[in-house]
Amino acid sequence: MTQQLKAYKNEIIVILAFLLLLIALVYKQGKTSTVNSAESTATSSLQELKEVIALKKVWGDKKITKKVEKLQKIVSPSKIKWNRKGKKLTATFTSLSSQEFNRLIVKIMNLAVELQKLDVRKTGTSYHVELKCKW
Amino acid sequence: MENDKPLILIHSQMKYLSDTSSEGVNIMLTPQFYTIKRESLPVQYAYQAKRIAPSLFEGLLENTQDYTYFVQKEEDDWLFIAYDIEKIKSFLISKGLALTNISKMYFAEQSAAQFKAPVLLGDNNALVNLNSTMTVIPKKVLQADEKPMKIDKSFTPKKGLALEGRSKALIGNTETYTLATILVLFSVIYFVEGSRYGGEDAEQEAQMQLLLEDYPSLQSSYKRESIASKYKVIDKKERKKRDVIKSLSHMIFKGSTLTSLVLDDKSFQANFACKDAKTSKKLKDLAKKEKFNISQIHKSHDVKIEGKL
Repeated sequence: MTQQLKAYKNEIIVILAFLLLLIALVYKQGKTSTVNSAESTATSSLQELKEVIALKKVWGDKKITKKVEKLQKIVSPSKIKWNRKGKKLTATFTSLSSQEFNRLIVKIMNLAVELQKLDVRKTGTSYHVELKCKW
Repeated sequence: MENDKPLILIHSQMKYLSDTSSEGVNIMLTPQFYTIKRESLPVQYAYQAKRIAPSLFEGLLENTQDYTYFVQKEEDDWLFIAYDIEKIKSFLISKGLALTNISKMYFAEQSAAQFKAPVLLGDNNALVNLNSTMTVIPKKVLQADEKPMKIDKSFTPKKGLALEGRSKALIGNTETYTLATILVLFSVIYFVEGSRYGGEDAEQEAQMQLLLEDYPSLQSSYKRESIASKYKVIDKKERKKRDVIKSLSHMIFKGSTLTSLVLDDKSFQANFACKDAKTSKKLKDLAKKEKFNISQIHKSHDVKIEGKL
């Protein structure tokens, strides 16, 4: 070490320590921003994947046909006109009591099908429901 | 250890030193660089003695303000040494001694007892112990049988002085090491914090992998996007339809009956039969809240509610 350098030994030590601190700070900041951006990408990817899975589970349910078929069991067969072709349904429910009507509507609402037409008419105390849907 | 370093005797006739130990040296000043006084004082501590030192040298020194004082307790007396540090520093530099290279500074007086023979100072002078006081005398007054000696590390006294401002350093050693330690400590903390970052990312990555294993058909992001866009449209539309049905169901209460409802992909229309104007008003308020279009059926309390999907 030259005499000149030795004369400023203390300052050099402090500067080196300060530089080390700066490097450590830059390293931490760099890592934080990289990780944050990676985390936010990972979070959004994960969120997106979860959303797709949830949507697929609901609207791509393979058991939906079976569930739709169960609509027939809500009321007696004599009150139903059922016409299902593949994944399309046209059904007419006639002479439904209030309770039957309520049950049917709740069931329809909970079915993950695309409602193309829902026609409800009340005649006296009975209800007439026409349903067109696909899935 | 300070006492292990080479000890150089500093005197006015000394030669220029071109090569000093890079590990540092100790220096011992001859009386040419200081003035001494021995006094028996009723003080107990060195700091008390040091406080009265300037007054002891009044009359002896030209300007006592330029001097720094060193005190040391001897058997019965106090040893007072006055020295001009700036003069000493200039002299040392002029002789090639870098101040940064000097570890400790001592006075020959401190090791007086060890000077049992004269020490030659250049060609003309000698340093001798005269009645326990170190004195520089001309070499020629030495007796012929007196064999000169040389000083070595063993002459190094216990108590020495660090040359204040021996370097041009703005920061003292203690401050330097304290500050450096703090800065290094913070650096370590930042490094550790930085390296610890990213745990959550790995966790999410693992969760993602797990989901993809369960749904291998969603491995491709294009496929995911296509599925999402397809189902999102359906989901939005169908939720809207169901929300409308739910809202309309809340409008069925005592006195208000749903007489018809037609709902398709684009719109809906519902007719409610109300028993009186009050019920009709309540129904209309509810429909207004849902921002549906309302119309009163002519000559009745019945209400028609419609809207777009």
